Amino acid sequence: MNYKNYIYTALLLAATLTTSCSDMEEEPYGIINSVSFYKTADDAESAIIYAYANLPEVGYYSRGYYMVTELPTENLTQKGDAGVGNFELDELRTTATNSNLQDLWTYMYRGISRANAIITNVPNVPNMAEADQNQIIGEGYFLRALHYFNLVRLFGEVPLRLENITEASQVPIAKSSIQEVYNTIISDLQQAESLLTAEKISEGRANRVAIQALLAKVYLHLASSKSSGSPGYEFVSSADDMYAQAKTYAGKVINEQSTYGFTESLVDIWNTEVYKTATVSEHIFDAAVDRSGEIESNYSKLPNMFLPSDRAMIIPYDPLNSASAKINIGQGWGHFRTESAIYNAYADNDKRKTQLIVSKYTSEDGTTYNLDITSSSRPFSRKYIDPLRVGDKSSVNSSIIRYSDILLVYAEAAGPTAEGYAAINKIRARAGIGDLNPALGLEAFRDAVIEERALELAFEGHRLFDLRRTNSVEEILEYKYGKSITSGAYFFPIPQVEIDMNPLIQQ
Amino acid sequence: MKKFLSLFFLLALLSAQAELWAQVAVSGTVTDATKGDPLPGVSILIKGTSQGGVSDVNGNFNLQAPDANSILVFSFIGYQSKEVPVNNQSRINVSLEVDNKALEEVVVVGYGAVKKSDLTGSVATLKGGDLNKTPASSVDQLLQGKLPGVQVMTSSGQPGAGATIRIRGASSLNGSKDPLIVVDGYPWGDAGNLKQINPEDIESIEVLKDASSAAIYGSRGANGVIMITTKKGRVGETRITFSSLNTISTLAVKPDLWRDPIEEAIYANEAAINGGAIAADIPYTGVTRAGVYYPSIAELRGLDPDKAQWPYNTDWVDLVYRNPFSQSYTLSASGGSEKTRYSLSGNYYKEEGLSINNGYNKYTGKFNLDQQLSKAVTAGTNIVLAHTRNNGFGLSVDRSRIFPAYDENGNYFQIGSTDYGNPLSLANEVLNTTKTIDVLATVYVDAKIKEWLQFRTQLSTKYGNSVQDVYEPANVTFTGYESQGYGSIANSTYTDLLNENYFTLNKSFGSDHVLNFIAGYSIQKTNNRFSTLTGQGFVNDVVQNENLSAAVTKTLSNSLSRFDLASWYGRANYNLKDKYLFTFTGRADGSTKFGANNKWAFFPSGAVAWKVNEEPFLESLAAISELKVRASYGLTGNQGISPYQTLDRFGSARYYTGSGFQTGYGPGLASGNNEQGLTIVGGLGNNSLKWETTKSFDIGFDLGLLDQRFTLTADYYLKSTSDLLRLKTIAPSAGYDQQWINDGEVKNTGVELGLNADVLSGTELSWSIGANFTLNRNKVVAMGESDQVLIGTTYETVRQQISTYTVGQPMYMFYGYKTDGIIQTLEEGVNAGLTGTEAQPGEIKYLDISGPDGEPDGVVDSFDRILIGNPNPDFIYSFNTNLTFKGFDLSAQLYGVYGNDVFDFRKMTPSKQIQRWTPDNLSNEYPRANSTRGYKSSDFFITDGSFLRVQNITLGYNFRPELIKGVRSLRVYFSGNNLYTFTKFNTGFDPEMGELGINQGAYPRPRALSLGINVGF
Repeated sequence: MNYKNYIYTALLLAATLTTSCSDMEEEPYGIINSVSFYKTADDAESAIIYAYANLPEVGYYSRGYYMVTELPTENLTQKGDAGVGNFELDELRTTATNSNLQDLWTYMYRGISRANAIITNVPNVPNMAEADQNQIIGEGYFLRALHYFNLVRLFGEVPLRLENITEASQVPIAKSSIQEVYNTIISDLQQAESLLTAEKISEGRANRVAIQALLAKVYLHLASSKSSGSPGYEFVSSADDMYAQAKTYAGKVINEQSTYGFTESLVDIWNTEVYKTATVSEHIFDAAVDRSGEIESNYSKLPNMFLPSDRAMIIPYDPLNSASAKINIGQGWGHFRTESAIYNAYADNDKRKTQLIVSKYTSEDGTTYNLDITSSSRPFSRKYIDPLRVGDKSSVNSSIIRYSDILLVYAEAAGPTAEGYAAINKIRARAGIGDLNPALGLEAFRDAVIEERALELAFEGHRLFDLRRTNSVEEILEYKYGKSITSGAYFFPIPQVEIDMNPLIQQ
Repeated sequence: MKKFLSLFFLLALLSAQAELWAQVAVSGTVTDATKGDPLPGVSILIKGTSQGGVSDVNGNFNLQAPDANSILVFSFIGYQSKEVPVNNQSRINVSLEVDNKALEEVVVVGYGAVKKSDLTGSVATLKGGDLNKTPASSVDQLLQGKLPGVQVMTSSGQPGAGATIRIRGASSLNGSKDPLIVVDGYPWGDAGNLKQINPEDIESIEVLKDASSAAIYGSRGANGVIMITTKKGRVGETRITFSSLNTISTLAVKPDLWRDPIEEAIYANEAAINGGAIAADIPYTGVTRAGVYYPSIAELRGLDPDKAQWPYNTDWVDLVYRNPFSQSYTLSASGGSEKTRYSLSGNYYKEEGLSINNGYNKYTGKFNLDQQLSKAVTAGTNIVLAHTRNNGFGLSVDRSRIFPAYDENGNYFQIGSTDYGNPLSLANEVLNTTKTIDVLATVYVDAKIKEWLQFRTQLSTKYGNSVQDVYEPANVTFTGYESQGYGSIANSTYTDLLNENYFTLNKSFGSDHVLNFIAGYSIQKTNNRFSTLTGQGFVNDVVQNENLSAAVTKTLSNSLSRFDLASWYGRANYNLKDKYLFTFTGRADGSTKFGANNKWAFFPSGAVAWKVNEEPFLESLAAISELKVRASYGLTGNQGISPYQTLDRFGSARYYTGSGFQTGYGPGLASGNNEQGLTIVGGLGNNSLKWETTKSFDIGFDLGLLDQRFTLTADYYLKSTSDLLRLKTIAPSAGYDQQWINDGEVKNTGVELGLNADVLSGTELSWSIGANFTLNRNKVVAMGESDQVLIGTTYETVRQQISTYTVGQPMYMFYGYKTDGIIQTLEEGVNAGLTGTEAQPGEIKYLDISGPDGEPDGVVDSFDRILIGNPNPDFIYSFNTNLTFKGFDLSAQLYGVYGNDVFDFRKMTPSKQIQRWTPDNLSNEYPRANSTRGYKSSDFFITDGSFLRVQNITLGYNFRPELIKGVRSLRVYFSGNNLYTFTKFNTGFDPEMGELGINQGAYPRPRALSLGINVGF
């Protein structure tokens, strides 16, 4: 064989290989992207699932949200070896490099990006039933409003992103005013209200009731911020109009639907096997998880944040009923420690203390332990427990909007009227502490509702916002409870990473 | 094994196809031409055959030549070969000239080889025989301290662990920083774990350091190129060699642990009290907690009148570590005639880890055949097979010695129901095995078109498969408990196909002009495929991961990444009057990995060298045998990112909607991992993504004195890498996290020195010493719009990232607070700007050095963080020496790293804890015991990591040839590795760290004592 033949063969071989990839075009594998997605109704459904899946992430409702909203208040402090970010929050000396704030900021905006993708793309999905399309787009608006409502309450002026981002050139954006953010929140929620029905789709998804409930909270926040002179809310034209709107929307939740309602038993409110399956429950909107999940955010480790770490704990399901079954709630990390301020704020007979705060438990070997509010293992809230947890995997949803919250929104908006008293007294009756003084003036009544909210909604991420919107952060935390606030009383600093990477933004 | 052997013999027979003619007996003596000493062991070959012989201890030989006109070829290492015609003589005395070896040595460069004296670029070379004899699962580890400019870091002593190699510093922020490995002309990929090649099979290792030498590998050359050349068959009769290495290892560093359970308990109690624990939570008080009885201090001491003395004092080091025995056996055969040359070898390697149930096994085989098909055409093949099996993992020994290893029923003792730290149960009950198979093959055809023009085409392929089996029982690990039994099978398969076609041209024009060209084209296609099966929740642990379908929860994942690289390349060498050398190299690479706008890039380079010693004015200076000045400049590239980074990619996530989980898709994230460590592929595309480009300038000289008895190679280089492939953080409000972009610049400048001196070079006694010195200065020059980014893991102890890229500083600088000893009084703590428990006496005194306005503000907060340390060494250095006397040889190597900082998370070991601050011992160095202290990243942890290690000492004896009949050579040696380390670093840990310089307590590096035997037949 002539050597030339070898050369020809080789060149032929080379040529064959060459032509196959001469343009060096990449053939992706297993990648879904904007080119191939948003084509079918199933794609649209999947898009909204992705948007919801952001909620129970570790940095958001599964842990981070509680750190940011509870540590600054008189409700919770953190274990001694917690992160610096926790200490900054607890002592209200937050900095732009606070990792907890940065995480939460990041997750809220990821949620917004996912919602924007839906609002932009789902209307163009071909061959989709209009009702289904409306449903998903409406949920997209709701989620975007929820994230912006969280953002504006935490940080004040923030970048308002309403477009789906596909190019890096879209990244730089300036802050919008608080007013502009609220305009978006309200218009998004109004859109959502018109697009959604009152039908409950499934656990963890919002329907019209959730939209109305959130709208009531938004209006109340505007109303009380304006009337108390809370910083940043000067733009609100009339507090009374806002109270009236809050009352209207809270009224729709209380009077015009039957999907969600009042749960008579305090312990049942926080029983996963009740609120996940009951036809009517308090949980208007939850970030949903299940212990069968594979990763945290599919399941929740929130109980571990509250439960002390010493040993597995056995408690009665209902401490006020001696015949009640005993449940083993396991043990946690003792990350959050209950502060004596909230612990001592409850009347001794308040069931929210006697039923919902564990101050005594039995270990697996039968020893009884009392928890001391001044030690490292303190009495703790049992709002987040799951006796059926598998290892650390729990089914504990993070409650975002609860019926009792809206009942108190209604009371506060309605003022010392018959309806207002009825609403707050319903909460007080369940707690076993009797009716509120029936002769309160408007201001005293609203103060009483705020106090009631502190006790009823403790550890659920509401207290900081209530203090902010009533312009009483210093009054309560500094003068009453002795914290020294250096930063972050009304608005937290915008995370440094945003400032570093977004040239159009400044602190 | 039997089959293997018979294959050997078959090949041996084939090659020894001796033809019997009328033979002529020839005898004589071989001597050294200058000294006249007889030379034993000289190979004598009858030209054109594979017959011949070897000179005996007195330099005498006896052989039968086929006929009176035969030509004898005398060759001996270190001497020039000589051809002598028999011409009817029956006695032939031959004297061999000493080879000016270093100068005539041939150095492998990409797509060819050049004489060392004709090198223009900066290339470091190492002979395979110079590698230390010690167990090494990958060859990379053995390069440590061997070559100037090459930094090798092995932070773990775990069998099968690879190494990190940096040539002339790190020059990418997020792209690959690993050099390219090229084995016998086949680019294999990133260096770091070259397990497929048996060190014994290596002929030489060349490291291409500057742009001129590395540019022939274009977009993969920026991190340097390591060229490995394996042993080929040589003309001559079949040589069979057998070598074995048997090694006993021990712990090189004694772990710093509690020696006394009483002290351990006192410390734990004190830490709990200082940490604010309530009385019931102070551990050692004679209470039962979660089913475990914690003895009181009195009981531990035996002073409790009601209790017997506590019976347990568990020595975990004794239970967990062992003195492992490792083995390596190589059998090889090589030989050939003028037309056929072959080499064949097989190796069995078994390395036991220091930790029980941890080990690594490897089988490798290599076959190389070159066959001349016609006068002009040669074809050949090169095949490598490798099979490895890795079992087990490292174990922790810092468990409390107060508790036993087993309970009274013989079960593993757990300290509480959620304790999953018993190393014995982990070692014995957890399945973690990885098996790999690699097959690498090359087939080539060389055609000599003209005397001066050659064409080569080569087809190479690489196939590899790895299967990892994992099972974690429900009661042994936390994952196992969480999942109620966790099993997985992870598969990965890669295939790689390469076709190279190139012409080589060699032509002289007159005596003054020599030209050498290569030009070619190549295409390489790579495919990586992964799949993982996971099951969670098993009825029992009996079948482990063998039936994953029985699991309650089953998850699958799969992915594939593929990329192509097409290249045109060429190199021109021009040698003018054998004094002035010019090299021009260029490669154009096209890669599928890059953006539509930047698929192709061109990397040119040029070099000049001047052989000053060839100039008349130096000829009179006979002492100077070589003086060459070299300079080069050029571009190389880096394409070290994963495929698909230019495309926008969606992420997926699951959400629970009452009846089960649903899967969602939407805008993705680019970052590697989510909170659970799972890889998320996603994010914003970048159509303009392109190659990282490194501009390098190198100037150096090679000096040889007294016939190369003393040589010095020195280089100064300046490398500037721009368009850095960087994962840019995107403003989080965009909903994305990171995007691959090109920006920023990193500079590396440095000096390398390689020195060798043959102090004595007699035939009976010789002594040489060598030294390498590497100094590199790294600097981040620019980084897009940021001046500083934190990188790396968020460490649990300090809950922040501790390493940074800071403009104007070297890469990986440590970031944190400054400290000033220990707080002695509460007042001092408060005055320092600390609050709460952090201000208490006995705590670490962090300093308030800045604030929001850039001035101290009376508060220690995140504004007070600064750069606190530099993990990059000032320089690295090594010494080696080799002494031979008659049959004995003794060699030693020292390796040192100087001036680097280590972030030592394990600073507070028990020997320091004993010296802790207490009201009675006002230490200003070690803080009080406090179980709930939240450490901050600070210079408290920064420790000098300089060290000098006695890397290797080898003592060998070479028995004289034919001492045993048929045994051509016999060598027995003793080799000690990692014998002693001089350092001020934390006793209890090996000071050698990975690139980031962070000590978290790695798998200890063993001290290895080996006995080796090499036999040649």
